[in-house]
Amino acid sequence: MTMNSIKSLLSIGLLATMAVIFTACKDDSPAPDPVIATTTTDLAADPGTGIDPNNGQPTGITNKFTLFSFKTGEVVLNADSATTKWDVGFRRTTIIVNGGTSGSGAAGAIVKSGLFDEILEAPADGYAVDDKNSTTSKYAIPTGSGNGWYTYDGGAQVIKPTAGKVLIFKTADNRYAKVEILSYYQGAKTNPVNTDVAGYYTFRYVYQPNDSKSFN
Amino acid sequence: MILIFASVTLRTQFAKPLFCTLLIISQFCVAAQVSTDLDSLRTRQLEEVIVTATRNERTMGSLPMPVFLVPKAQIKTMGSLRLNDVLTEQTGLVVVPQVNGQGSGIQLQGFNPDYTLILIDGEPIIGRYTGSLELSRIAIGNIKQIEIVKGPSSSLYGSDALAGVINIITDRSQPGTNGNFSSRYGTNKTLDLSGDVSVTKDKLGIYLFGNRYSTDGYDLSPENFGKTVSPFTNQTFNSKITYKVGPKTDFSLAGRYFKEYQRFNFEVTSSNEQIKTSGTGEVKDWNINPVFTHRFSTKLKVIARFYTTHYQTETNLSLDNDGSPYYHDDFEQTFTRPELNGEYFINSKNIITLGAGHVGETVKTSRYGDENGRNQWTNYAFFQYEWLPMDKFTLVSGGRFDSNSSYGSQFSPKLSARYEVNKRITLKASTGVGFKSPDFRQLYFNFSNSAAGGYSVLGTEIVQPRLAELEAQGQIQSYLFDPTLIGELQAERSVAVNVGGKIEILPSLTMEVNGFYNSINNLIETQAVAITTAGQSIYTYRNVNRAYTSGLETNVSYPFARNFTLSAGYQLLYAKDKDVVQDVKDGNVYYRDPNTLVTKRLQPNEYYGLYNRSRHTGNIKLFYRHPVTKWEASARIIYRGKYGVGDIRGNIQGETIPPSDRNSNSILDVYDDFVKGYALVNLSVAKSLNCGLRFQVGVDNLFNYTEPIYIPNLPGRLMYGSVSYNFSKNNVKP
Repeated sequence: MTMNSIKSLLSIGLLATMAVIFTACKDDSPAPDPVIATTTTDLAADPGTGIDPNNGQPTGITNKFTLFSFKTGEVVLNADSATTKWDVGFRRTTIIVNGGTSGSGAAGAIVKSGLFDEILEAPADGYAVDDKNSTTSKYAIPTGSGNGWYTYDGGAQVIKPTAGKVLIFKTADNRYAKVEILSYYQGAKTNPVNTDVAGYYTFRYVYQPNDSKSFN
Repeated sequence: MILIFASVTLRTQFAKPLFCTLLIISQFCVAAQVSTDLDSLRTRQLEEVIVTATRNERTMGSLPMPVFLVPKAQIKTMGSLRLNDVLTEQTGLVVVPQVNGQGSGIQLQGFNPDYTLILIDGEPIIGRYTGSLELSRIAIGNIKQIEIVKGPSSSLYGSDALAGVINIITDRSQPGTNGNFSSRYGTNKTLDLSGDVSVTKDKLGIYLFGNRYSTDGYDLSPENFGKTVSPFTNQTFNSKITYKVGPKTDFSLAGRYFKEYQRFNFEVTSSNEQIKTSGTGEVKDWNINPVFTHRFSTKLKVIARFYTTHYQTETNLSLDNDGSPYYHDDFEQTFTRPELNGEYFINSKNIITLGAGHVGETVKTSRYGDENGRNQWTNYAFFQYEWLPMDKFTLVSGGRFDSNSSYGSQFSPKLSARYEVNKRITLKASTGVGFKSPDFRQLYFNFSNSAAGGYSVLGTEIVQPRLAELEAQGQIQSYLFDPTLIGELQAERSVAVNVGGKIEILPSLTMEVNGFYNSINNLIETQAVAITTAGQSIYTYRNVNRAYTSGLETNVSYPFARNFTLSAGYQLLYAKDKDVVQDVKDGNVYYRDPNTLVTKRLQPNEYYGLYNRSRHTGNIKLFYRHPVTKWEASARIIYRGKYGVGDIRGNIQGETIPPSDRNSNSILDVYDDFVKGYALVNLSVAKSLNCGLRFQVGVDNLFNYTEPIYIPNLPGRLMYGSVSYNFSKNNVKP
């Protein structure tokens, strides 16, 4: 059992409905590990420090991706960006994977429609990788409202993670994870407004640490 | 003199003896006329005649499709001034703001304003600058009646008549010499001056109408810079000359000139800075419409008509701090149409109508990126066969073929039938096809909106070369949609069924019912196609959606006592995107509870439908009219039920408009926020004197209902007083 891979970063009241599901074991296969849904809150994705009142531009942004490892459930230092220690990176609404033109790993992603709990297995293939030379999508998870994980609500001027979009990742070292992004605003605000602090991801995920596509 | 009348009315209460003495108008009173009201009462008892449904004069009762008529007398009692005032009170018609939250267009059977054809004397009004037509452009002082045909009428009128047709029939000269002058003054310093003169001598008839309307506008959100509606003034002139060329030949020449001027202030956002600007807006339109009618025999009538019209608008904004020009926008459209049609009575049971024509259209606008006009032409022919085998039964069939230079050809058939079951019950059913050709802006737009955040819209004709150009300049950050998939736009099409009838519940208590279903294909929507390196979106257009609108409309009218008529109208409406319905059914639509952040699957009964459609709308109206004392009064309650709002990029005052969606699925479901339903109460009282004077006071929106964010086109309470003077002499006895 690799309990160190199942690390809850923070526990949150309503969100921490831990779906601990054990699968039945077969005699002739190694006992599969139980996987667990984990929620990460307020992962800062280069949110900056505020808005410059003189020109309306965000201040204090670094334009660096916040790298994240599903295996450790923790942020990976940017110094390790050339390694396979990280799986995904977040910079405001853009998400990169450690693969293709973004990294040296084997990571890829699929944006799937469905309910998080109902997706029990990772697809065998179809994982897109980042390709900065592409004219259609430079990222495995397409950017832009309605294309990938979010919808920009121009009326209310807020970013809303689209309901029913689940991101399936192949990690840098060929494992699988499924992710549902829940909020883009600090404190996982319910009904966010455009004055709330943006650039903070809250998401729940299930990581399969073994050589298996199962999310059970 | 008219001005004096207005100010006097405002300060005077309704005291009958006061008027004549106060205004020293006894000389008018000497020439008192025989009550015109009694005349109009008599005409009303005759069968009303409507031309829009078949392009020929037919009595209302004989028509197999849903038709409605608003007569002049009712418009006068209501105290309406502009077309939107009248239409907003009709069952099944909802006046909705245009894209930017300003102005007003008409929603009919759940269709957006772009899908209803609006005609004056059978000729289209142009100037659908943002898609819908601004109804307040039309003064109604010279209107004889408004005819409304519901259901697609492309079989007679071609493009744009998907939801229906609204035809404004204007006055023509009456026997003798007649005239009417009226003035009205009310809230927001709104002054309306109107006059018409009609002279008929031998074979010649001349009718002239003039109107000047000015208002100070109103401000629903004073905390913002600039008014919700800024002050504007407009003038309308209409003329109609009729000449009896021979015993069998008539000629008429109609013309219109309209001009509006507005000054406004508003704040724009430029590189995240709020900048105060001032601007002017100007609208002009004119048209000329000569018509020859010749009766070759009692059986054959041929009409040759020519129509040419021009619309032009210009907006200029300059910065308040240094007066430098900030934004310019102009738009110019011409529309020319010769048409020939004939009506042939084979016998009293078989009537054939045939017609053919040519439309030439040109648009020139700063929004196309150059000074060149864009042209389009349509050739068309239509036929209609009316079969009346017996009094109880009418069958109307027809179709029209349109061939257009840019979107190909369309055939639009229609079939309608009416059956009188007995004296009390009449049944009607019709089915037909309607279409709307892609408009110029969807084809040719090359427009960046610097006044609203800098987004760009590219029409389908230029989107690919423009994107290639931008790409070569390194201005494209990323594509949101594969531009090679953007093909030629197809016309939007609908197939509709209307089934209903008229039932006499009690003697004089009648109820009209109409159920409708419109199935719409190829709806054109905006499609975000790319993001520039400056982070601005580029949009184009694409045929995407399939939708339906369906519902039931009922009208009950009951003259429950002498001189009183009570009427009630109600419309139930379901308008849904068919693809969304299918997706919901397949279990592929989700919503995230905004409080718990838990995602669930949306159930079919939880999808509410398209934005901006109220499931329930209705009205209750009470009219009083005394033919002898000549008092008239009305009380009208107009209700619009709750509705949802999509993602609108703010209104003209720069306020954000929170959309309905609150659970991250971008569709309207029962868990979303809705704009609350509301009822408006309008009252009016009028009194006519035998000397030709008429006084009226009224209040619209009695309870001062406003909704600054979502319904900026609804002003608060409007009170008004008006006086008019009517004269006629040398009337030839009919």
